[in-house]
Amino acid sequence: MKIFSKISGKIHELIDRYRNLGYRAKKKITFVIGRIFLYYVLIELAYLFILPFIYVITTSMMSYKDYMDPSIEWIPSAIHWQNYVDAFKGLSYFGFEAAHDGGTQFVSSFMNTLIVSLGSALLQCVSCAIIGYALGRFNFKGKIFIFVTVLLALLIPPQTTIIASYGMWASMNSINTFLPVMLPTLFGLGLRGALFALIYMYFFQRIPNAMDEAARIDGAGPLRVFMQIMLPLVRSATAIVFIFSFVWHWNDNCEAPMYMYSNTMMTLQPKLENIQYYFAEMMGSSGEVSDFAKAMMEPTLFAGCLLVMLPVLIVYILGQKKLAAGIERLGVIE
Amino acid sequence: MAKQVVKLKKQQAHKTTLKFGSFERRRTIEGWTFSIPWIVGFIWFMLIPLFLSVRTSFFITKLTDPYGFGGESTFVGFDNYIDVIKDPAVGEVVFNSFLQSLYKVPIVVAFALFVAVLLKQDFPGRTVFRVIFFIPVILAGVIMAYLFSDSIGSISVFSGMLSSGGMGFLSEIMDVSIISQIGTIMWSSSVEILIFLAALQSVPIILYEVVELDGATAWESFWHVTLPYISPFVILNAIYALVDSFVDVSNPVMGILEEMTSAGTKYGMASALSWMYMLATLLVILIFVLLTRRWLR
Repeated sequence: MKIFSKISGKIHELIDRYRNLGYRAKKKITFVIGRIFLYYVLIELAYLFILPFIYVITTSMMSYKDYMDPSIEWIPSAIHWQNYVDAFKGLSYFGFEAAHDGGTQFVSSFMNTLIVSLGSALLQCVSCAIIGYALGRFNFKGKIFIFVTVLLALLIPPQTTIIASYGMWASMNSINTFLPVMLPTLFGLGLRGALFALIYMYFFQRIPNAMDEAARIDGAGPLRVFMQIMLPLVRSATAIVFIFSFVWHWNDNCEAPMYMYSNTMMTLQPKLENIQYYFAEMMGSSGEVSDFAKAMMEPTLFAGCLLVMLPVLIVYILGQKKLAAGIERLGVIE
Repeated sequence: MAKQVVKLKKQQAHKTTLKFGSFERRRTIEGWTFSIPWIVGFIWFMLIPLFLSVRTSFFITKLTDPYGFGGESTFVGFDNYIDVIKDPAVGEVVFNSFLQSLYKVPIVVAFALFVAVLLKQDFPGRTVFRVIFFIPVILAGVIMAYLFSDSIGSISVFSGMLSSGGMGFLSEIMDVSIISQIGTIMWSSSVEILIFLAALQSVPIILYEVVELDGATAWESFWHVTLPYISPFVILNAIYALVDSFVDVSNPVMGILEEMTSAGTKYGMASALSWMYMLATLLVILIFVLLTRRWLR
C-alpha cells in the first residue's frame, strides 16, 4: 500500500512537472512518446508479417539434413546454395522427354511472364482509368447500371466462367497466345480489372469539381481534360494499380497457365511445380510424387519461389518510392 | 447597344445548346462515351461466358456437351436450383461463410486503416516497413498454399509463432487458435493497407495545418479531417474485403464448387449454386453501398 501511494505520488509529481514545461518541450515529449509507441507497434506487427518470409528464406538455404533435423529450426548449420542451383535447373526443366537445355527454357518463360505482367499492368492502368473516370466524374442516366456491371465483374468467381471462356478462346484459335490474358485488360477487365476500376473511381471522385470546370472554361475538350488534368491528379491511384496488376499477373497461377501451357508459352508460376517432377526424375521415379518426397524437396521449392518473386520485389520497392514521391504534388489538389 | 450585345450572346448560347445539347445531355454523352470500352469488354468477356454458364445450370450435362446445344444433355429446368437449396450441408456452409465475412470485414478494414495511418507518418525506416507489409501479396501464389497447409513437412506458421516467443504480450493473453486466426486475417489485409496509404496521401496537408493552428490534437484531426476525407476508401476497402472473403479459395463454398466440377457430372448443380451465391453476395454489397451512400457526401 505504501509503495502504491509512493508510486502514485511520483506520477503526480511527473505530471506536475510536465504541466509546467514550455510549449516546445511538451511537444518534444509527446513526439518522443509517440515515436516509441509507433516503433513498438510497427515492429510487433511487422514481425507477424515477415516471419513466414524469413521462414521461407532460411529454409531455402538448408540442406536436406538440416531440414530434417528437429533441433535446427531457423538457422541452418551451413548455407546450402545448391538448392538455388537445383531450383534453377528445375525451372528450366521441361517434361521427361526433352533434355533441359542450359536455362533457355527459364529465359523464355521469364520473358513470357514479363510480357504478360508488364503489358497487362500498363493496359489496365489506362483502360481502368477510363471506366473509373466515367463512373467517378459524370452523373448520367444509367450510371448505376454500369456500376452494377463493375460489381458483377468483381464478384463473379473465375470458376464460374472459366470453362465457357476457355471454349470461347479455343474457338478463336487463340490458345497459347497472349490474347486470352491480355485482350480483356485492354477493355478494363482481366485479372481483377473491376477492382482497379473501383479504385480509380473513388480517386476521381476525390478531385474537386473546380478543377475540370476551370479547364473546360479555358476551352479544353473532354479528352484533353481527362489526359492533362485528371490523370496527373490520380498519380497515386495509378501507382497502386500498376503495382497490384503487375504483382498479381506475375503470381497468377490460375488464368495464364490455363491458356498458355505449351513449351514456349509457359509462364513461371506453373513451372514451380516442375521442380517436383525434376526431382522425381532425378530419383528415378516417374509420374506421381509422394507426400514424403514433396516434403523433402521443400527447401528447393522455396528457393525456386524466391527466384521467381525477386523481380516482383524489385518492382514494388521502386514503385513504392514513386508512391511516396506523389505526396507533395497531391497536396496541391485543393 | 448593350441590350443588343446581350441578345446576341443569348442567341449564340442557344445555338451552341442546339448543337451539343444541354449541359446535362452533354455530360451524359461524355459519360457513356468513356464507358464504351468497358461495356464492350463486359459483354464480350463476361456476359457471353455467363450466359453459357446460366444455360448449364438448367441442364444435367455430359462432358461432351456442357451447354446443352448438342442435344446430349437433358434439360431439367429449375431442378438443379431446387437440389442445391434442399441440400442441408450446402445451406449451412453458405450461411457460415456469410457469418464469417460479417465479422472478418470490420476487423480487416479497421486493422488496415490503423496500419496505414502509422505507415503514413514520416519516420526513418518507413520504406522498410512498407515493403514488409506488402509481403503477403508478393508471396501469394503457390508458396502460400505450402505455408498455410498442415501437410507433412510444412508448419502452420502462425501457430508456430507462440513457441518461438514472439508477439510480446499479445501471445500471453490469447491462445494459439485466436493468434493464428488473427494472423490469417491480418495477412489478408495488405491490399487494403496499400489502398488506404494511397488515400491518406491524397489528403491535402493544408487541412492538417489549419486544424493544428486551431488547436486540434492529433486524435481530433484524425476524426474530423482524415476520416471524413477518406470515407469513400473505407467503403471501397469494405467492398473489396467482402468480395475477397466471398471468393477466396479457402472459402468452403469454393471448395464445394470445386468438388462438384471435379466430379464431372454436376456442372449444372455447380453453376446453379455459384449463381445463387453470386446473386446473394451482390445483394449484400448493393445494400451496403446504398446504406453508406448518405455517409459519403
